Amino acid sequence: MMALLMPSAAILVTTALIALLAAGDPKRRRSARLPGDGQGKSVRRTLAAFACLPGAVLATMGDAAGFMLWLGGAGVAGWFVALLFAQTGQEPR
Amino acid sequence: MIHLEKEDTKLMVAVHGWSGILLGLLLYAVVITGMAAVFAEEIGIWSAGHVQTSSAFQRPFDRAVRALGERTPEKYHEGVDLFEVGDRNMGVFFHRHETDASGNLVSRGIYYQLDAQGRVASERSGTGEEVFGPRNDDALSSFLVDTHVRLHLPNPWGLLLTGILGLAMLVAAISGLLIHRHLFKDIFTLRRRANPVLVDRDRHSVAGTWSLPFAFLLAFTGSFFSFFGTVGVPIVAMAAFGGDVQALNDAVFGNPRAVDERPVAVGNLDRIAEDSIRRTGEAPTFLSIEHFGRADSQVTSFHLPGEGGLEPATLLYDGATGRFDRAKPSIGTTPSAGGTLAAIMAPIHFGNFAGLLSKAIWFGLGFAMCYVTLTGLRLWLIRRKEAGRSLDWLERIVGAVGFGLPLGLVASAAAFLISMPVGSAVFWTPAAFLVGFGGALVLACTLRSAAMLDRVLQQATGVVLALLPLLRLATGGPGWTQALTVGQPVIVAMDIACILGGGWMVWRLRRLGVSSGRERRAPILQAAE
Repeated sequence: MMALLMPSAAILVTTALIALLAAGDPKRRRSARLPGDGQGKSVRRTLAAFACLPGAVLATMGDAAGFMLWLGGAGVAGWFVALLFAQTGQEPR
Repeated sequence: MIHLEKEDTKLMVAVHGWSGILLGLLLYAVVITGMAAVFAEEIGIWSAGHVQTSSAFQRPFDRAVRALGERTPEKYHEGVDLFEVGDRNMGVFFHRHETDASGNLVSRGIYYQLDAQGRVASERSGTGEEVFGPRNDDALSSFLVDTHVRLHLPNPWGLLLTGILGLAMLVAAISGLLIHRHLFKDIFTLRRRANPVLVDRDRHSVAGTWSLPFAFLLAFTGSFFSFFGTVGVPIVAMAAFGGDVQALNDAVFGNPRAVDERPVAVGNLDRIAEDSIRRTGEAPTFLSIEHFGRADSQVTSFHLPGEGGLEPATLLYDGATGRFDRAKPSIGTTPSAGGTLAAIMAPIHFGNFAGLLSKAIWFGLGFAMCYVTLTGLRLWLIRRKEAGRSLDWLERIVGAVGFGLPLGLVASAAAFLISMPVGSAVFWTPAAFLVGFGGALVLACTLRSAAMLDRVLQQATGVVLALLPLLRLATGGPGWTQALTVGQPVIVAMDIACILGGGWMVWRLRRLGVSSGRERRAPILQAAE
């Protein structure tokens, strides 16, 4: 059970950062006709690097199972975040 | 992203589209059953109402196996396989290896199924293929796994087909990666009120991008399993062992040892199981005894990866004394990179290395891949429709397969719950799947439009799925209090998942019906990129 704590926390951190990236995604905002330009390139690159950091930490620690959990969990979470923002950002006006 | 010349991009788009359209529907069938099969063990517990929580290897079984050894002809003492069946009871297969009339290596012997008290509940003689098959209490999970592994086609054709489908998935993933010019730029862009081509393209590419690493991994490992026994082993045996598959098995997976045929009683199997649990932290999933009752006997115990690990554990014991010998690599006699890679294939494919968390994630990835396959097929069709080449018959087939397969699966689950108490689940589980899926095909031919077909099939699937827990309780399955008392919360969790999943499907359709009516009044068209 304890072995799942680290990967679970890593997935949560990555999901939060993915959600930040989604919120400020310029193309998503433009296509949803939301106000503002969204995040700049350097902010997005920094956020993306931080989103990958938990996985890098797990890999460096040699936690293969944790890394696979993080990789899969981040993929599923990223897709759900994209779906969620599509639902909330484009309600019929 | 990767920049291709215009002509190369066109070629890649054609490869991506045609590989998808030719094999996409079969691939979808393999992926959706694989997604459900991630929870095959839990589905087995939930559907059959299994209440035993401790492994068959954690209860005494030594005396029962010893007694079976005495009643089994010595010619079948060459190998003994022990594994769990049903409600954590034990299956024991005494066998020998032989070559059949077609030149295939088979295991022939006697397969005993023991009850919870270690008494023989059933006994069957024949080859492995003849004696192992779905049982009344695991017909549903067996049906799911068999559909995923070989689409119910006979060996080796089913495995070859699923292997080819795995390769098609790899081709689609690679060509998709090459043709998508704005992979990261579009990763959150899901336009809902745009041109239908854009809407479907967004859905397809966003789900595809997020699940891309796993599309590679799952397609590769799936193809590996399909081709391993059907292509890989015969070729290597032919090239290096003069076609002798048994010699290859002995050299690659066996435990080389000096032959000693003196009769010596097998060591205490209970102690071996106990020791293996102490060393790995996991009960064995499989125990194999070579040369039962001989001085050169060896016992191998196979375990799921331990906490935090990805590589399954395999331990070797001296069969005559029961003494621990060594941890054994899955290939060869000494650890190697190839052996480790081969060993982690199964956990990576099945997602069973970290309990329910890894299974839930793998289920989500499977769902994403089903979504990618289906939206890809729809995108191909809608592009042709836009170009004035409507393929209504294909659109209906895609709808019938895309939403008829889930309907067939929930119908088979419902039939299993009704027929298992009367002992006819082995027949009714696949029969109900055929009825559900066949019904979807009939509707595809008779309903007014493809959109109506999708809606009817999804509604029917949602309703049946939400009603499964009630059906389970009505047919004598354990209630929530009983399940929690005996330590099987998975039964409660599966009930809740069915209710939520089915309820969500019905609610979503109702909501989509309302919003699509509104959106039809105010479309926002954007240029296709």
